[in-house]
Formats: sequence, structure tokens, C-alpha cells
Amino acid sequence: MKNNHPVDEEPPIEKPPFFNSWKGMYWLVLGNLAFMIALFYIITKIYE
Amino acid sequence: MRPLDWIVLLGTIGFIVIYGIWKTRGSQDIEGYLKGDNSMKWWTIGLSIMATQASAITFLSTPGQAYEDGMRFVQFYFGLPIAMVIISVTVIPIFYKLNVYTAYEFLENRFDLKTRSLAALLFLVQRGLAAGITIYAPAIILSTMLGWSLTITNLVIGVVVIIYTMSGGSKAVSVTQKQQMAVMMGGMIIAGIMVVSYLPDNVGFGDAVAVAGKLGKMNVVDFNWDWKTSWDDRYNFWSGITGGLFLALSYFGTDQSQVARYLGGKSIGESRLGLLFNGLLKIPMQFMILFIGVMVFVFYQFNEPPVFFNEGTKSKLYATEHATELRTLEANYSSIFEEKKQAMQSLVSALKTEDEAAIAIAETKVENLNAAGKEVREEVKALITKAVPNAETKDTDYVFISFVMKYLPAGLVGLLLAVIFAAAMSSVASEMNALASTTVVDIYKRSINPNGSPMHYVNASKVLTIAWGIIAILFATFASMLDNLIQAVNIIGSIFYGTILGIFLVAFYFKRIKGNAVFFAAILAEVVVLYCFYFTEIAFLWFNVIGCVAVIVFGFILQTLIGKNEKELVKV
Repeated sequence: MKNNHPVDEEPPIEKPPFFNSWKGMYWLVLGNLAFMIALFYIITKIYE
Repeated sequence: MRPLDWIVLLGTIGFIVIYGIWKTRGSQDIEGYLKGDNSMKWWTIGLSIMATQASAITFLSTPGQAYEDGMRFVQFYFGLPIAMVIISVTVIPIFYKLNVYTAYEFLENRFDLKTRSLAALLFLVQRGLAAGITIYAPAIILSTMLGWSLTITNLVIGVVVIIYTMSGGSKAVSVTQKQQMAVMMGGMIIAGIMVVSYLPDNVGFGDAVAVAGKLGKMNVVDFNWDWKTSWDDRYNFWSGITGGLFLALSYFGTDQSQVARYLGGKSIGESRLGLLFNGLLKIPMQFMILFIGVMVFVFYQFNEPPVFFNEGTKSKLYATEHATELRTLEANYSSIFEEKKQAMQSLVSALKTEDEAAIAIAETKVENLNAAGKEVREEVKALITKAVPNAETKDTDYVFISFVMKYLPAGLVGLLLAVIFAAAMSSVASEMNALASTTVVDIYKRSINPNGSPMHYVNASKVLTIAWGIIAILFATFASMLDNLIQAVNIIGSIFYGTILGIFLVAFYFKRIKGNAVFFAAILAEVVVLYCFYFTEIAFLWFNVIGCVAVIVFGFILQTLIGKNEKELVKV
């Protein structure tokens, strides 16, 4: 069967969006985790 | 099920399957079939990773878990974002550099063939069992709720997945998972909105959360740790951040059903971003699903819940000579509920006026009545055990689907069932694809028939996808009901993951330890984990840590001993 899909010519990303390096992206993920844990802790305390 | 529900259900599932087959049509070589030609963008990878992990059990069992136990299950995922970062930094570059098809190929490069084969076999056993449960778990619930036979439901899920996974390989799995994730998220958000809208007029969203908090369901984080008692506490911050980290490292870094998702990336950057996308969104997603379960709990504080959520088992009980006893218990349960409903209104009024004394009185009354209701439920369960042999008395997995079937309007029932079928299919497809590719690449091509043509291996992968699919359907058909479905999958995973992760960690970070030492260390570690499983009360999340640490420790000891012997032999 012939494959008629359009050829994807978009270059692959090498750098993360919004950050100059991957380090920034890693800190975003870890910072988001810390924020969520803090938020969940506050929710637990407010509604306990 | 009404006609509109059937149209929505069949239309959604049919569209996804046909789209997956059409999108990946055409001849494929082994690179295309197993790695999707390295053409995946980061959002496809991210959604595919999330869809693989989010099985039907996630959508059936998690709201039920929140209904019973509150929000604390979310802590199980605290280690996941850390694992995503570690894998992005260390694992992805190595896999890309070696251009591997499976994670286990790397182990031969680092150690030897027997260690690669051992890790691949551990994966095949563990994932083969899990694939059966991934089909069985939703099938047992859906068959009860829809009145279908269990075998038919198993076949519907299994065969549909086999068709498009066999047809399009890894790419078909990833492509369909994008649509499946959209259906899952859309369906759950609508279900969440509906349950809140069904609350009484005088109970707003804030009141509902406050009520849930007063009844102990907003227990999201627990930092408490007691060295004597906390080891068997399945969900607290410490077990989540450590055990959850090890489990996530092992699942995303060494389990081929996940590794295949990001190995198909267009570049290292796309794969990394896909994993980090999961690291950002997984916890909010789980929080949302649990929160829907809590809202269902609040809904049932104002609307009478069934005394037992599994209607199939309840019908069987009605067919026995114990039907009168059940009727009496149900009447008792109803009268307790009517009293509780009034107490709930008092609690809501007290919360609105912030009258602490009135809150305390109403809260105590509701708690007492909830305890009385729970006692009646226990009596019903005892009756089921007595009257219906082999019947499962744990009904939390039926809480959410029971709510959906009874209260949602036509069309939305079909959509929510499509969510569950889509979730089941997305996980099973990844599992079958991974089982087939590991069997072909790590066992068949490496040790049985290394000289086949590329097309021969594509065909072998297709045949093995069907074979693993049949095994999973058979296992699902003959599996007996397990304690809690989501926990059963996680327990099976934890028994094997620690050891597999230990092998990989040694490979990445402990260059001194060689093939023979790590091979026997892995076998010893698995024995230790199995001992802990059968003879101790340690919570299953810790098996990941124990297995992993045991491989490293035994590896060091054995390498030291082997090293000494080798030196002595050299001297001789």
C-alpha cells in the first residue's frame, strides 16, 4: 500500500521553549512539583 | 444504555481505531514499525506517555479510592516529576547514542547477553501479567454494568487493540493515544462539572469542598512519619517521594511500554520535552480524577447511594434465600441516610454561618451516621460472603461507573464509557507493542534467528503482537478478582521493577560492577523482594527501593568476591 502522508519538514526542536537551556526546563518541572506540594499542604491544613 | 449512548461510544472508539489504521497505512520497515521512524513530536510523545500510564483502572478505581480514602493517593505520584528530570538528563542521551530499539539492548552493550536477556524476561513476565489485568480490570466492571458477558468484553477490548497495534506498530499506538487522551480528559472534565451541578441548590462548590474536608476527604498531603508504623502506610509523602520516585524511574526508564514512546521521538529534545510535559501535568491530572471522586462522595451525602455499588453481585444476593435480610438492611440504610441528609443540611448551614459550635455538633452527627451506614454496608458484605460464593465484596471500583450509569444524561454515559474503553485500549496497545518488540529484538532476533530480513522481523513483530494479545485476553478471561485493581497492577509492577531498575542503575552509575556480578545480584534481589511480598507487611511501594538497593549491594559484594577470585586465578 502506498503511503500518501505529507512529508513533515518541520525541524526537530533542540532547545526547550521559553528557556535558553534544558536546565531551566528541569527547574520548571521541579519548581512546579514543590509548588503543588505546598499548595496541597495548604489545602490539607485549611480543610482538616 | 440508550441509543444515543451507543452512537457516542461506538462512534468515538470506531473513529480512533480507523484513524489510527489510516494514519499509519503503507509499507513499513522494522525502524518504522518499532520506532515510528523517529518522527514523533514532543506533544505526541507527552500525550502518548500519559495515555499509556492512564489505564481504564485509573478512571474506574481512582475516583472510588478517593470516595473511600480521600485525596491522599495523589502522593503516590510525587516522585514522578523528579524521575522525569533524571531520565531526561541521563537515560535519553544514552539510548539515543546507542540507537537502541529496546531499553534492554543497552544492557548487553554495558554488561553481557545474559543480563540483557534476564532483564527482558523479567519485563515480559511482569508486563505480560499486567496486560491481562489491564484488560480484565475494566472488563469485569463494564460487563457487570452493561450486562455483557466477561469473555465478550475482554474480546472487544483485546481484539480492537490487536487490530490497530498489529497494523501500524508503535506509530499507530502513539497516534491513537492523542485522540484517546483528548476523549479521556474531555469526558472526565464534563463528569466533574456534572457532579458539582447535581449538588443541592444551597450547596455551592466551596461548600462541597468544605464538607469533604470536614468528612476527612481533603487529606492531600501527610508529612507524618513514624519509624514503627509508617512502613505499611501505602500513601504518605515519604513513600510517595522515595518509593514513587523509584517506581517512576523504573517504569519510565526501563519499561519498554514507556521507553518505546520516547524512543520514537524526532530528536533528543522532542523526547525530553515529552517526558517533562508528563512531569508537569501528571500530578494535576491525578488530582483532578481524585477530586471528582471526592465530589461524587459529597454528592452521595445528599443523594442516597446504593448499599452496595456492584449491582451484579447485589442481584445475585437477591436471588438467594437471603433476599429478605438484604431488603431489611437496605431499609435500615435508607432510614440512616434520611437522617444524615438532614444532618448534612445542618452542617452546610453551620459552615455558611461559620458557627463553630454548630459545625462541631453537625459534624459529629454526620460522622456517627456515616459510621452507622458503614456498619450496614459491612453487614451486607458479610451477607454476600455467606450467600454468594467467590463474590468480591470490595465495591469501590464500581462507585464512579455506578454514578455515571445512574445519573448522567444520554450521550454522556456513552462518552464516559468511551473514556474507559479508550483508556483501556491506550494502555493495552502500548503493552502489546512493547511485549512484541522486546520478544523480537531481545529474544528472537538476538538469540534465536539473528539472520532474518528486516521484513521478516516486521512480520514476526506482527505475529507476536497477536500472540501477546491472545495471551493477555486469555489471562484476563481466567483472572480472579483481586483486592483492588489499581493496586494489583502497581503491586505486580513493584515486585519486578526494583530489580530491573537496580540493573539499569548499576549500568549507568556503577562502572566497577560487571556482568556476572549484576546478573546474580539481580536474581538474589528478586528473591529478597518475593520474600518481603509473601512474608512481611511492608507496603508495596517500598519493594521498588528494596529490589533496587539489593541489586546494587549484592552487585558490589559479588563483584568484590569475583574480583578477588579472578586475581587469585591470575596469580596461579
